[in-house]
Amino acid sequence: MSNTIDPHKLKLVKRPKNGSITNPYYGCTVGAAYSVLGIKGGVSIANCGPGCMYKQFFMMSFDNGFQGAYGAGAGNMPSANVQENDVVFGGLKTLDNLIKSSLAVLKGDLYVVLTGCSGELIGDDVPSVVKKYRDKGYPIVCADTGGFKGTNLTGHEIVVKSIIDQYVGDYDGEKTPGLVNLWFETPYYDQNWRGDYEELVRILRGAGLKVNILFGPENEGVKAWKKIPKAQFNLVVSSWVGLETAEHLKEKYNQPYLHIPVIPIGEEATSEFIRKVVDYAGIDKKKSEKFIKKEAELYYYYIEHFAEFFSEYWFGLPSEYAVVANSNYAIAYTKFLADQIGLIPKKTIITDNPPERYRNAISEEYKHLSDGVSIEPDFVEDGYTVQQILEKEVTFGHGVPLIIGTTWEIDYAREHGALLLESSSPTTESLVVNKSYIGYKGALSFIEHIYSATVGGK
Amino acid sequence: MVKKINLDMSTVENREMRLGTIIGWDGKASQLIEESDYEGRSEKKLGHGCGGGKGNSCRLCELKSPLNQQTMCANAIVECQIGNIEDCILIQHAPIGCSADNPWFNLAFHMGLVRRHKKLQNLKIMSTNLTEKDMVFGASDKLRRTIREAKERFNPKAIFVSMACSTAIIGEDIDSIAEEMEAEIGITVVPLHCEGFRSKHWSTGFDISQHGVARQIVKRNPENIQKDLINIVALWGTDYFTDLLKPLGLRVNYMIDCSNYKELHQASEAVATTTFCHTLGSYLATSLEQHFGVPQIDAPQPYGLAGTDAWLRAIAKVVGKEKEVEDYIESEHKRIAPKIAELREFYKGVKGFIMTGSAYAHGLLSVLKELGIEVDGSIVFHHDPVYDGAGKHQDSLKEFVNNYGDIKHYSVSKTQAFQLTQIFKRVKTDFVVIRHQGLAPEAAKLGIPALAMGDEHIPVGYDGIIRTGEMLKGILARKKFNQVLSRHVNLVYSDWWLKQEDPFLLAKNPEILDTVIK
Repeated sequence: MSNTIDPHKLKLVKRPKNGSITNPYYGCTVGAAYSVLGIKGGVSIANCGPGCMYKQFFMMSFDNGFQGAYGAGAGNMPSANVQENDVVFGGLKTLDNLIKSSLAVLKGDLYVVLTGCSGELIGDDVPSVVKKYRDKGYPIVCADTGGFKGTNLTGHEIVVKSIIDQYVGDYDGEKTPGLVNLWFETPYYDQNWRGDYEELVRILRGAGLKVNILFGPENEGVKAWKKIPKAQFNLVVSSWVGLETAEHLKEKYNQPYLHIPVIPIGEEATSEFIRKVVDYAGIDKKKSEKFIKKEAELYYYYIEHFAEFFSEYWFGLPSEYAVVANSNYAIAYTKFLADQIGLIPKKTIITDNPPERYRNAISEEYKHLSDGVSIEPDFVEDGYTVQQILEKEVTFGHGVPLIIGTTWEIDYAREHGALLLESSSPTTESLVVNKSYIGYKGALSFIEHIYSATVGGK
Repeated sequence: MVKKINLDMSTVENREMRLGTIIGWDGKASQLIEESDYEGRSEKKLGHGCGGGKGNSCRLCELKSPLNQQTMCANAIVECQIGNIEDCILIQHAPIGCSADNPWFNLAFHMGLVRRHKKLQNLKIMSTNLTEKDMVFGASDKLRRTIREAKERFNPKAIFVSMACSTAIIGEDIDSIAEEMEAEIGITVVPLHCEGFRSKHWSTGFDISQHGVARQIVKRNPENIQKDLINIVALWGTDYFTDLLKPLGLRVNYMIDCSNYKELHQASEAVATTTFCHTLGSYLATSLEQHFGVPQIDAPQPYGLAGTDAWLRAIAKVVGKEKEVEDYIESEHKRIAPKIAELREFYKGVKGFIMTGSAYAHGLLSVLKELGIEVDGSIVFHHDPVYDGAGKHQDSLKEFVNNYGDIKHYSVSKTQAFQLTQIFKRVKTDFVVIRHQGLAPEAAKLGIPALAMGDEHIPVGYDGIIRTGEMLKGILARKKFNQVLSRHVNLVYSDWWLKQEDPFLLAKNPEILDTVIK
């Protein structure tokens, strides 16, 4: 028996490239201000027009599970609020005043100046102003993040590189065996990032690794960033974001990297993930195997309970699903549901516009979702085209279709009686506080959320 | 005689030039009224000396802060108005980041459609999605292509094109393209010059949106006047105006959010135009009066007893229901009196604080005062010393102070969260009422709960006092959460800043920064 969908099925809907976008799934390059805020003690200073950070705030945080903010500046970031005078006569004086006052008023350990469209187009020499403060001893760097350069993910890599080059600096000392830099989900944009970092760090520590946590709830601030060059290797657990950083670190600090392109969900995938990382690190396997054993026992304790409901619920459960999500979540969720729960994948649409050079490798992962199950993913960044594809190219059989998607699929879900579980940006129908759908524990929550939305007489 | 709005031009003169709008000021409300000289300004031709011309004689003193925090911009405001029309399409001629708040206005649109009992749908704002190459080689073809696509995809009644910072800097000519494409596709194409750097205050975006509607959507030379139709310039608020105006025999025509082309088009057939907020509504109301002969209701805003009475009387006068309105007012006063008395008892000794746009704040303040809540301070995000049309009875701040007394600490400041630590040192409050993003979470950490007035019509009219009073009970209870928060969450400000007393210190004395940052 096979769940395989014919990958050569006729494509009815045009997929324009770099065309117009109705209903966007990401912010622009300056949205990477939120990567800075993922570091404790990080303060973004926006050398931007007045509306820029307001706009990014919604895609990255508020309308992405109402995540909120931590520390200085999120939701009310210092901003140059560039005016006509700055455009005509140059905005360096405004920026200088902004930096000076931000340093005086906002507590921080690392200040990152992000320049948006206006500053880049008028060609202000931002590094000269920033250097003035760095020379005085302030921890401050700048990043060229004009919004027209790409998505917030493009911006994320630019910002990370700027911090490494301008703040972390050169290093040719010893490496610490077993210490690994974790390059994982993109802060705020991957909406469960906080919970996911906690779970992945728990797993890596359980396996016996020393994890250098660069973002998230357990990040120890800029101290961790200063430790980057000392790590034995870089671990990239992400579909494609972070690979540029890893390449840069390979060159800069002579650090190798291990790339795991699918975030593990469920016992089987997570245990396999641990074994891969432990193998690569070359550390003792006793600890990791003991950890796997304990986690597996716990996991199946719960799964056995769940199996009773799953087998015996009288009133129908979804059996077919489509995923509309960014690269990271798209493959992770598609794979887990196909391989571990046995739902039928009808369509996966990747929304974060990954660079062309990564697309073949990303698609390749969908060829072996599970034994006998494969699909061909679509790369579409325009919400209108996504809806067209769902309408014209996907047919659901018996039962309520499950859409793991975003707010933009709400029209489709309403019109087709589908169950929509908003799980990628933008999300305005559910709240993320400490959610995680990955690893051992997250898998159980994922199951809980899907079927809580399904059961009952609503 | 006020300066006439020029609908021949596609651009709008910025608020700061047209009205003398400021975004930084601190003092007593009564002092700002005096400095604003609303009457003096309304008698003069605006633009001569009042921030617009060469003379600075009556330009308001303005505090300019070296530290600013993220705010809205005119481009975002255009999204929130034009992007929320049911059957028209807004194209943002910009890189994709300018559309990153689309989901926010989508949520607001959904809420608005539900409140107005209309069919749910996602907003369908389009972005030309410009990249680096477009910045170098120009993006006009992409705009033409997107306009064609908008027509093909959605078959809208009209298409609006908004300018962004980047497209303004590279000199995109949206006026010519709009004209050219209008001829090609056969529907109205409206250019909107709302690039973010254009105006220091986002509310210029309201004027730009409304200018486009008045200039190219509203019906010229209407044949049939709808004698029972009144325009309400609004956002997404619940339809309380229908009940409020039914006794006067009026039907409501909401503009612009959640409306459709037909509703906007027929605005010139209405008997009058009014609004829940002069900041929002005065440009459109004045345009309709000056260019289409639809009178603007010259009255205070409909908040609190006095405001609502006066507003209803002014409308009744236009539709010839002077007698009926007196009976209506009397019975309404009688109806709500017991409930108001009960609420005033509940709010004895409670203090409140408003942080919203300008004219709306004056309305909210009236409602708090009707509930017996004390107000020692408030923040408005801008101050317009006069409104378009300059109606004799529209000086909303003066109206408030005359009816309810002065406000000791009245600050004009554009979403500057860093000032709140100082502001709440000098003014005590049990809660804040907010609109616009960025301030409530900061107040929350200081132990102060916020009523986010997302449905802006809640405080309107007689029942608005009761609705607000009931809603605030839930907000005051939330103080428990805020106290937990303030016990455990650290503030993000430097010790130096926390020691300061004056929220406007940096604006008044920027040199002090050189003693801190050496």
